[in-house]
Amino acid sequence: MNDVSETKLYRLEADWLDAALGALERDGVEVLAPVKDEDGSVNLAPVTASSEVATDYLNALIPLKSVFMPRTEVLIEYERAGVGDVEVLPGAAPAGQRVVLGCRPCDARALVMLDSVFNWDYEDVPYRARRDSTTVVSWACMDPGPHCFCTSVGGSPHSAEGSDAVVYLAGSGPALLQVVTAKGAAFVESLGDRAQPAADGTALPEPPELETKFDTGEIKTWLDENFESELWEEVSLRCLGCGACSFLCPTCHCFDIVDESTWKHGERRRNWDSCAFCQFTQHASGHNPRPNQTTRCRQRVMHKFKYFPDRFEQVACVGCGRCAQNCGVGQNLVSILSRIQSEEKP
Amino acid sequence: MHRTGENRMNATPVEESLREAAAGAIADGTVGVVIGYGHEAGSDVATPLFARTPEQARGLVFDATCVGNLAIYLPKPEVRALGRTGLVVKGCDLRAVNVLLREHVIEREDVFLIGVRCAGVCEPPLHKCTVCPVHDPSGCDVTLGDSVEQPTADASRANALVAEMEAKSIEERWEFWKRQMTKCVRCYACRQVCPLCYCKRCIVEKTTPQWVETSPHLRGNLAWNVVRAFHLTGRCVGCGECERVCPVDIPLGLLNQKMAGLMEQWFDFQSGLAPDEQAPFTTWDPNDPEEGIL
Repeated sequence: MNDVSETKLYRLEADWLDAALGALERDGVEVLAPVKDEDGSVNLAPVTASSEVATDYLNALIPLKSVFMPRTEVLIEYERAGVGDVEVLPGAAPAGQRVVLGCRPCDARALVMLDSVFNWDYEDVPYRARRDSTTVVSWACMDPGPHCFCTSVGGSPHSAEGSDAVVYLAGSGPALLQVVTAKGAAFVESLGDRAQPAADGTALPEPPELETKFDTGEIKTWLDENFESELWEEVSLRCLGCGACSFLCPTCHCFDIVDESTWKHGERRRNWDSCAFCQFTQHASGHNPRPNQTTRCRQRVMHKFKYFPDRFEQVACVGCGRCAQNCGVGQNLVSILSRIQSEEKP
Repeated sequence: MHRTGENRMNATPVEESLREAAAGAIADGTVGVVIGYGHEAGSDVATPLFARTPEQARGLVFDATCVGNLAIYLPKPEVRALGRTGLVVKGCDLRAVNVLLREHVIEREDVFLIGVRCAGVCEPPLHKCTVCPVHDPSGCDVTLGDSVEQPTADASRANALVAEMEAKSIEERWEFWKRQMTKCVRCYACRQVCPLCYCKRCIVEKTTPQWVETSPHLRGNLAWNVVRAFHLTGRCVGCGECERVCPVDIPLGLLNQKMAGLMEQWFDFQSGLAPDEQAPFTTWDPNDPEEGIL
């Protein structure tokens, strides 16, 4: 994906962002871009002016997945129509055309993994509709943070996987844009004369160096053999069992379905869920096949680095580092994986 | 947040005495495990360290990054399975232990308390540290560290953040809380990190019927956070862990501080100052002047 030919590179004029926002607004396209809120957090939010857009940020607090798999969404609504009769209404229609402008390459790369799941044995209708109607334009990462480890999981600060186009910002001056898909090409067209094919010989900037911290192949070899291991008890002892790591993970996609109703009206909602929660695998019988935090912690690592590769030939982790950054007790996926690697290589 | 940097090779005097006390308690069988603080690369705050051998106790640290309240681990069955628990506590953490004792979640003999005198953690110190009434934890099995000066209590300072909020109009406050509560993703980090949220089954996990909506919409989020604040009223010791671990930075401490202020105002009560204190909501007294429920 990274060896896009140079003919697909464009030079963007310094005011390209204003031009893009103007053109997209005229076409009725909603633009989601990084915005710093009153509390100092950066998140993807609707914007209409370039002054609202944060460009000097590490990553959004809530990952890009929320654009395609909202933390809560109405799947259907139902209404009591009479005695013994219920009218079922479709949920809120997925949004119209949208452009995400300024997510990070790691978050975009996570979409490749989500696509695998949501188009697997069943094509997930709301997810697919949102994916089809959304163009993803990433901003190449020039300055990775202390928790970043994308290069350890097959990514790169400049990865184009999952993106329709990648923009290489250089301060507030002219930028470079790499077209990846047809949607990306359509986005470039919307920029009009603010985007010109880059001069012959223009090369993409080198990505910043990022130390590789473990080898996912070796991790997988160990996981294949160690469903039962004392390591799981040790690393799970301090885990609080909250869902912060799952909910802030750009690839975690498990959900719960709940009905919320009043006397005559109800909604069936899909909400984010987490394998760290004690009720995640609780059966109606009362039996829980993952009865303690040890088995739940193991599941999170196994799902990302064994079951997902077994099924889709890719790990379910993009190395964004949010799990390590936001864990209340400093539980750290990198440290667990590094430790597994050291067990693999005694 | 204060950053740890690399592991320090040289232990401070308090760390030396801490390691010695912990290693001794493990070696002579007083405890099966000592839970204290350690440093781990990649974490900005000290991480919980479970020392089960005297050698592992050599990794214990005590510095400005030791923010967490380790009392959270005391009720957990998987921790109890390791044997009697040794616990490193600051004054603020001891208050949570006192409530666990008061509520008979643990008994005093279940735990070996290693108190460390503490004038405050983080740089600049956390709000809770600037108003902390327990710099010197008393009633521990061992207490370590140089004596620290206990500033006189300053109620206006303790309530400063609440007072700032109360100065706003009710419309402004509603807008503020709506915005904050909308951010909640229902990860329950606030509950899971709270040493006093030890219910085996939380009300949001009771599904027949579902008392509190689990969807992270404003209605469900308000219900959850209000239930949580109410259940901690008269119990919360203000350790601030809920606010610290909230991944979306909801100022939960404000709710707790408001409730703590009311408890002090109406009942002259601060939670967790002693294990045998008479807590207003859980103490039956035939001389209680309140006849409202009779």
